[in-house]
Amino acid sequence: MSMSTAATATLAVTKVDAPTIEYGKLSPILIIAGVAVVGVLIEAFLPRPARYRAQLTVALVGMIAAFGAVVWLARDLPDDHRGSVTAMGAVAVDGPSLFLQGTLLLIGIASVLLIGERRLEPAGGDAFAPQAAAAPGSQQEKDAAAAGWTQTEVYPLTMFSLVGMLLFPAANDLLMMFVALEILSLPLYLLCGLARRHRLLSQEAALKYFLLGAFSSAFFLFGVAMLYGYSGSVSLDKIGVASAGAMDNDALLLIGLAMVAVGLLFKVGAVPFHSWTPDVYQGAPTPITGFMAAATKVAAFGAMMRFFYVALPGMRWDWRPVMIGVAIVTMVAGAIIAITQTDVKRLLAYSSIAHAGFILTGMIAMSDAGVSSTMFYLVAYGFVTLGAFAVVTLVRDARGEATHLSHWAGLGRRSPLVAGVFALFLLAFAGIPLTSGFSGKFAVFQAAARGGAGSLVVVGVLCSAVAAFFYVRVIVLMFFSEPKVDGPTVVVPSVMTTAAIALGVAVTVVLGILPQPVLDLADKAALFVH
Amino acid sequence: MIETSSLASGVVLANEGGGGLHSVAASGAYSALWLVVGLPLLGALLLLVGGKRTNAFGHILGTAMALGSFAVGVLMFVTMLGKDDADRSVDQHLWTWAPVNEFQADIGLHLDQLSVVFVLLITGVGSLIHIYSIGYMAHDENRRRFFGYLNLFVAAMLLLVLANNYLLLYAGWEGVGLASYLLIGFWQHKPSAATAAKKAFIMNRVGDFGLAVAVFLMFTTFGSFDFADVLGGSASASDGTMTAIGLMLLLAACGKSAQFPLQAWLGDAMEGPTPVSALIHAATMVTAGVYLITRSAEIFNASPDAQLAVTVVGAITVLFGAIVGCAKDDIKKALAASTMSQIGYMILAAGLGPIGYVFAIMHLVTHGFFKAGLFLGAGSVMHGMNDEVDMRRYGGLRKYMPITFVTFGLGYLSIIGFPLLSGFFSKDKIIEAAFAKGGTSGWILGAVTLLAAGLTAFYMTRVMLMTFFGKERWKEAPAGAPADWHEPHPHESPTSMTGPMILLAFGSVFAGGLFVLNESFVKWLTPVTGFSHGDLPMSEWAVTGMALSMVALGSAVAYVQYARRDVPAVAPAASLVTVAARRDLYQDAVNEGLVMRPGQYLTRLLVWFDNRGVDGFVGGLAAFIGGTSARVRKVQTGFVRSYALSMFGGTLLVVACTLMARMA
Amino acid sequence: MNPVNYLYLSALLFTIGAAGVLLRRNAIVVFMCVELMLNACNLAFVTFGRMHDNLDGQIIAFFTMVVAACEVVVGLSIIIAIFRSRRSASVDDASLMKW
Repeated sequence: MSMSTAATATLAVTKVDAPTIEYGKLSPILIIAGVAVVGVLIEAFLPRPARYRAQLTVALVGMIAAFGAVVWLARDLPDDHRGSVTAMGAVAVDGPSLFLQGTLLLIGIASVLLIGERRLEPAGGDAFAPQAAAAPGSQQEKDAAAAGWTQTEVYPLTMFSLVGMLLFPAANDLLMMFVALEILSLPLYLLCGLARRHRLLSQEAALKYFLLGAFSSAFFLFGVAMLYGYSGSVSLDKIGVASAGAMDNDALLLIGLAMVAVGLLFKVGAVPFHSWTPDVYQGAPTPITGFMAAATKVAAFGAMMRFFYVALPGMRWDWRPVMIGVAIVTMVAGAIIAITQTDVKRLLAYSSIAHAGFILTGMIAMSDAGVSSTMFYLVAYGFVTLGAFAVVTLVRDARGEATHLSHWAGLGRRSPLVAGVFALFLLAFAGIPLTSGFSGKFAVFQAAARGGAGSLVVVGVLCSAVAAFFYVRVIVLMFFSEPKVDGPTVVVPSVMTTAAIALGVAVTVVLGILPQPVLDLADKAALFVH
Repeated sequence: MIETSSLASGVVLANEGGGGLHSVAASGAYSALWLVVGLPLLGALLLLVGGKRTNAFGHILGTAMALGSFAVGVLMFVTMLGKDDADRSVDQHLWTWAPVNEFQADIGLHLDQLSVVFVLLITGVGSLIHIYSIGYMAHDENRRRFFGYLNLFVAAMLLLVLANNYLLLYAGWEGVGLASYLLIGFWQHKPSAATAAKKAFIMNRVGDFGLAVAVFLMFTTFGSFDFADVLGGSASASDGTMTAIGLMLLLAACGKSAQFPLQAWLGDAMEGPTPVSALIHAATMVTAGVYLITRSAEIFNASPDAQLAVTVVGAITVLFGAIVGCAKDDIKKALAASTMSQIGYMILAAGLGPIGYVFAIMHLVTHGFFKAGLFLGAGSVMHGMNDEVDMRRYGGLRKYMPITFVTFGLGYLSIIGFPLLSGFFSKDKIIEAAFAKGGTSGWILGAVTLLAAGLTAFYMTRVMLMTFFGKERWKEAPAGAPADWHEPHPHESPTSMTGPMILLAFGSVFAGGLFVLNESFVKWLTPVTGFSHGDLPMSEWAVTGMALSMVALGSAVAYVQYARRDVPAVAPAASLVTVAARRDLYQDAVNEGLVMRPGQYLTRLLVWFDNRGVDGFVGGLAAFIGGTSARVRKVQTGFVRSYALSMFGGTLLVVACTLMARMA
Repeated sequence: MNPVNYLYLSALLFTIGAAGVLLRRNAIVVFMCVELMLNACNLAFVTFGRMHDNLDGQIIAFFTMVVAACEVVVGLSIIIAIFRSRRSASVDDASLMKW
């Protein structure tokens, strides 16, 4: 913090260069942002009956186009696979950004297919409240339902959230990261509160998610302020340079990194910042839960890796022990609490907490292998999660989705295909060989072991064993229990949900049997731009 | 799925093998090698995943996949013919499944002169049996599933013989075990079939355990699973290790190939549909043990003790199977006993070392032809006789089923070693090799093989006579027949069934002659297995003469007993030996007394111990975790403020720990 | 005046905000406390900007204000929706989901 040089620098600024922005390199993000804005315009100008098709088409076409843009940018990466920074250093276009953006877009496509599903409700409509503003149980709500209203705002909201997610792992300065964090979170808060059934739970989920999310953003922002105070910049590169030679007097740096880490750990649902996860996952409309569970993790882990790998590589001996502790607590708590859960969505929520711990294991390795294995895990985990929540939307009784585990007893007898697919996803969660879960766990544990975090691997394997217990318990329940007489029925979905589930199954099986191409891709994409 | 993706992953150069297996990376026509396994696997996937939708064309699809695989196999063979000995074996590295420092779980294929023989046998005979099954299973409502399992079997068996490392071989080994289990129990509504499937599975597990231990030993000794590394390094390892690996491989071979003392499952396995018996339990899967031993030749060459054990097992089984075969009235069980005995020949030959490997494989191939033909013939007979299997209720069928009679007859002549037929050449070579081993053991083994040749002639003549000659015993109702008994109307089977039988009969007649012509088979396999002429203590003609006289003697005794006299419709009381043979030489009683009962006591003891000790611990641990879980989940109070508190506390903790980490 | 004093004030405001989140029941007040925490961050940014003699801190403060405004929009709509269905804005009432 040399005041004199900074002062002369300020004096020297007489002419301001107009900032340059390489729009081509930002095209995936810009396309989705454009799609979101068009979605708002559709709400404003198209008649109600035409909106559904228009929204769905625009969203899907936009995401496919953005995916194409990602592929195009990835082909343009130089041979050493180091990318470049753009938008005045605010956004990085490098291997990890593009890999995770591609993953996010694929997850987004599958999620929009789930969100657009309209075959499951017996009275018609989708998973969202016909009129969110109407109080639950009011006459107004009944009228809206009778009129067959649907909320197509969910599509632009999802797209806005996706914009934030695409930006989050690519953000190369902390201000951009904060803005991306808010862009991805704010629409999600709203989406969580829009469920058609169990609206009180849904609104409660939104409230909890919002308050805690805002609380955690405040920590994140305070951490950013501290790091800015330490280094005089919010650019990750500059923080990296400043922190490389960190000496004793750097409480600002340590507090800052800890508090930024808290904000990121909240988003991935690591213990002890996990408490929102089960409640929000349970209360949110299930397609949104799937989207949130899969995509938020991908984005947040991407941002976390960039933060630690680019801004704080020199500080690893300070943050690694803490993160190892968090990872251990996360795996243990997630696996143990999940054992006694009785609701499928809560069970999957705790399972996602445990998985956050497994993914942290890969990140902590602090090597290229750590980055690539984490990214591979995120792909594997994202599609399994999305698929599992998609299956949850199918098992229904008169009150909507039958999420209590006791209702799932004997499902394998009644509907072997659906139960079989769900069993496959559970086996993948448990990390049984020949599923993507095994390949992913294998990769992160291997990276962690090489990175010198052997203790973490031991805990991880033990927790996997505990976790396998409750996954297998559900499989046993589905296949070896007598079905209940008044049990739920499995609704036949439209081609959209089927396609999303099929994508999940395909990724799960292919990454289990033939992980190498994707591992290779992740390896190539493992270098952060500095 | 796998097919396309392995294309995508491309074919990359495999590491050059050192030692036993020199091979080059697959290129040119060879790059289609993965299709050999891929096609039937795709078929199995489509049929088993596709479910009822594929019912209409499932059998066609399954057969097409087998034929396609055969076509690719022929392409491989032709390509190989056009190359020099040195360039004939190739490796195709498909992808690496789980790479960890030294642990390389590669998915790679290895094709050489030995495996191509198996590929042709498996896909060739397999295709014929697929075609046969179209007719045989025409009225079974689960025909599609049957073809799915058959394809699965073919794929797994091909994986077994094409794997380029022991780990992948193990995968194929388990795969054929699974397919065999599914197919034996295909008619699971019959309790006997379900029990037989279980019995086969369990006895196979014993063998699989041996293979698993052998693979572990290899990895700890050589640090690799690759054939190239293991076999190439076998000279450097200690004798004790080699013997241990060899004995474990032998245990594996005993399980899969129904060799003494793990032979008991094969007879019961005949509960499966007859095409299954022909394909899996005669021509291919049961020969996997012979493949395993021959493939691991370097290991056995390095350990005379293990070799001796192999020959002893082979010799015992040769006689065991032959004796049991003499007394069986169930046509399929008689053939099963014969299979056991014939595989005993092959194992015995493989145990002789370089003087025997080639002939073990040669007999394996000719046996594949004639035994598959015999089984299909038996199936054809059953098809025309209301699924009757008791030969005492056959007789005089030659007039009603001429094609079956002729093809079965040719298979019969071949198996007993009628001069110039396939079986004659291959069996004669094994007998010669046994004598050529030299020393006392050579004489003993030679005598055993000769004796078994005589017994083979006896029981096969007996089968032939009881089935196709003599009085038509099926015309009278059996004692204690059900009220709705009606006289069977024997008839010839449809073309889809007789066609494969005719083709197999050609093989039974001509294959052996082709193989010995110009010593082509020996020359073909020598680069892989090695070959040395033994020291025959007498002239070759003398051996052939002795063998033929044993055959003549056996046939004559059978003729006297079963053609000159009437065959009683019910098995008559007989001597102790016959009774013992009828009861499979008390194999089940022995198993029960020696293994099952003590096993049960041991299990009970373990269960008791498990309940008190292990379960106490495990159960306690589970209860502890469950209790912890029940308590910890209460932390999730539902109040957002307490969540915020936990976050706040967590933040303080993280900040404090980060600061502390610097202090420490 | 030493700018470090503003940092102390910022930390104090942040802590007061956090304590408010933990202690207050009314969702609106809780939310206001979060806003207080964000503003405490803003103060810190501006102070650091002054200490480093660059403008980044002040620019970031503007960004934070915009983000906070967006948060208000979303947050109030959620709180109003839940107030309509429950006739209460107490965060302790919304505790149907637990364990």
